[in-house]
Parts: sequence; C-alpha cells; structure tokens
Amino acid sequence: MWNTPPSGPLDREGVVSPGVTQGIEAVDEEELLRRTARGDRRAFDELYRRTSPWLLVRLRRRCDDPDVLADVLQDTYLAAWRGAGGFVGAVAGGSSASWLWSIAVHRLVDAMRRRARTARVPLVEPSGTAAPAEEEALAAHLGPDVENALTALPPELRQVVQTLILDGLSVREAAVLLGMPEGTVKSRARRARIALREALS
Amino acid sequence: MNGRPSPGRPSPGHPSPGLVTRYAAGDPDVDDVTAWSVELHLDGCAPCRALLAGGVDGAGRALLDRVAGAVDRGIVSGPAPVPARRGLFGRRVPGRTGTVRAVTPWLLTAVGLLAVACAAQRLGSPQDPQDPLVLLVSPLVPLLPVAAAWSRGNDPAWEIVSSTPRAGLGLLLRRTLAVLLVLMPALALAGRLTGVPPVAWLLPCLAFTAGSLALGGLVGVSRAAAALAAVWSAGVIVPTLVTRQVPAVLEPGARALWAAAVAVLCAVVLLRADDHRRLTSHD
Repeated sequence: MWNTPPSGPLDREGVVSPGVTQGIEAVDEEELLRRTARGDRRAFDELYRRTSPWLLVRLRRRCDDPDVLADVLQDTYLAAWRGAGGFVGAVAGGSSASWLWSIAVHRLVDAMRRRARTARVPLVEPSGTAAPAEEEALAAHLGPDVENALTALPPELRQVVQTLILDGLSVREAAVLLGMPEGTVKSRARRARIALREALS
Repeated sequence: MNGRPSPGRPSPGHPSPGLVTRYAAGDPDVDDVTAWSVELHLDGCAPCRALLAGGVDGAGRALLDRVAGAVDRGIVSGPAPVPARRGLFGRRVPGRTGTVRAVTPWLLTAVGLLAVACAAQRLGSPQDPQDPLVLLVSPLVPLLPVAAAWSRGNDPAWEIVSSTPRAGLGLLLRRTLAVLLVLMPALALAGRLTGVPPVAWLLPCLAFTAGSLALGGLVGVSRAAAALAAVWSAGVIVPTLVTRQVPAVLEPGARALWAAAVAVLCAVVLLRADDHRRLTSHD
C-alpha cells in the first residue's frame, strides 16, 4: 500500500532563493545542478551522492555487466559536470533526475553499440512471471486499467513498450539496447499498441 | 506522470519502503509492471530516492565508489563546467554559441585598439602621418581573436582535440600562416597601386605567426605567442611611444629583413615539424 511520505532531514525544503547560503543538505537537486554549472564541486559531489544509487539501480535493470555500468555511470556524471549549464530546469517541467536519466540511457545505448561489435553483453531478460501485480505499487501513477493491460501483455512486448515509453528511446536505440533488429522492435510495438488498445477500450 | 511533488507539501502517495528496498536490491519478485511504476515515481520523488540509496547492496556500493574515483580524476584533468548561456535580459539561450561568445570580446578589443590608434594619430599630429601608433599595434591585432578562437572551455570536441597532437591553437596558427602567406603578394601589389602599404604591418604579423609556431615547438604555442607579444610590446611599442620615432624595425627598408625572417621561420616550422607531434595540454 502507498504510505505517507517518509519525513526527515532529506525532506524537501522551501524554494531556494539565489544568493542565500544554505546547508547543502537542504538544497534541492535542481539547485545543485545550477551550482554545479558555476563550478561548485561540493554541489556536484552531493548530487552524485544523492542520485548515483538510483541511477545504478535503474541501469542495472537494463544491463547486467558491472564494467559497462561503471563506464556508463562515469560518462554520465562527467557529462553532467561539464554540461550542467545546459540543464534548463524550469523549462518543460523537467526534473534533474529525468535529465540525468536521459543522459545515462543514451550512454548505455552507446556502450551497447560498442560492445555489440566485440562480445555479447548479458542482457537482463524480461521476467516471465506476469505475476498478479502488487496492488501497493500501482495506484498512483499508472491507474488500475493501465496496470491490468500491461500485466496482460506478453513479457517480450512489455519489454519493448518499457524501452520506448518509460526509457524514452527511439526505435533504433531500443533495438541496440535490447539486442534485436529494428523491425522486431517495430512489429512488437505495433502488437503491443493493438493489445493495449483492446484491453483499455 | 505529473512531476515532482511541490515543495513542502506531501505528495499523494509513495511505494512502501519495503518495495523500494526490494527494487533497489534487484529482487526478481518485483515484476516489470511494478518496477515500471516504482521508476516513474522515483523520477519525481527525492525522498524515495534517498530511501532507495540505503537499499543498494555491497557490490553496488563498491561500484559507485569506484566510479566516484574515476569521475574525480576526470574532473581534475578536464575543463570546468560550461557556464549556463544567457542571452539578452538573462534569457536562457539553447544551442552552442560558445565560440562566438568567446571571440566577440576579443574582436571588439582588436577593433577598438585600432580605432583608438587611428584617433590618436589624427588628433595628435595631423601634420605627421608617419606617427606609427597604428603601425605599432597592428601586427598584434589579428593574433588576439585568433588566439581566442579556440579554448578548451568552449570546444565541445575538447576531449578529441586533447588526444590529437596537431589541434587547437596550433592548428589555427598554421591556418593563419597559410592564408597570410598566400595573401601577402596580393597585398603588396595592392599597396603599390594605392600607396598605402598594408604589407608594412601584415609582414611582421606573418612573422609573428610563424615565430609562434617555430618557438611553440619548444615551449608550446600558447606560451610562445604570449612571449612574442610581450617582447614586441616591451621592446618596440613602449620605446617608440617614449621617443616618438618610427622604430628601425618598421622602416620601409626593414621589410626585406622581415621577409627573410618569415622565410627562415617557415623553414624552421617545416623542418621542426616533429616538435608538434607530441601531445600537449592544449589549454
């Protein structure tokens, strides 16, 4: 079941006004990125401390190889350090986390493309058990209809939908990440769309 | 997904701590659809991300520490963050305008320097067109924007440049040298026809470019260019301003010597080409 939010020192504080010195613990991640853009190394380290476990866990569900993961994380945070000024936080409601994820997932695709020439990287197989989804997870964001429709999808279709929609990749990138031809990605996406439309109508 | 919870107000719901921990540990019992929902939530929820950080296993922690070390080394050896770009009135400007922004002040400085020299010459001694202020600063003027046209901070391909021996400022100087070498005869002809010889200052400029490259083989092009500019300022500009006389090195009779110097320096650049094959810091 969905709980009330955990409270504590990490709870988000009020909006940070520029120029006001605050403990770095109380600063939100968008502000950390803005400080990073000004060359503030402490802000960057704090950003790493807060976001890297989340990024690692999320990437690890897409790729099992620790060396690839280390490379991707390193590339991502170096790119974030250099390109923090390019983060346009307020525009389009983008959060710092989505920004980091879009860097990371594209670096992951690049890493897969490189590896595909030399060796096969063990991909995380889609979990075949379309177990009755835990009711605790699904209320807030997906809604019960979408949840049921997704659960009913065959795992290989669900994997494609996840890569295209949740990870935000193009068909070509998804083909690299999943290690299958582009045509397969397209046809599975089409089948998934038809199945979802039927389930939701 | 409707973004982050607004600050200070609790969001409608969070996945239970147990589920987040199991997701963090990569528990295979967390099926795709559940994980999808958790990931969507984590995208916008910093407190839950903090909760997740506690659930990462030992191998994950070790990997993150390793990456932190590598990132640290990369930051120390690499350039500083590219600052946020702002247009007029503090508007954020997307896209890459770093080079234009970096060079424009130098171009304005160069043009301003020339304008001041021209004004001083007209106001100071209209009866004496030989006052050499323009002549004095002109040889250095083109070097300023050229040197500013490349810096590692605003070059998106900096990592590639840093792994290439003949790139960055050295490349720009070589191109300047090539262009000026070809243009010089045409300028000499134009000067002869009109009576205003730009060759008088472009020839020393050419010599400076060649000299920067030749000396750069020993001490690096950036240092060489700065040293030559300093020597010129201290050895020629300042004494001339004090004595108010056209320096001997800029007399029309000295042009043959400048031409000879250019030839020698170009020969040195060609002969010592191997000096530029090693990697430099390119800063």
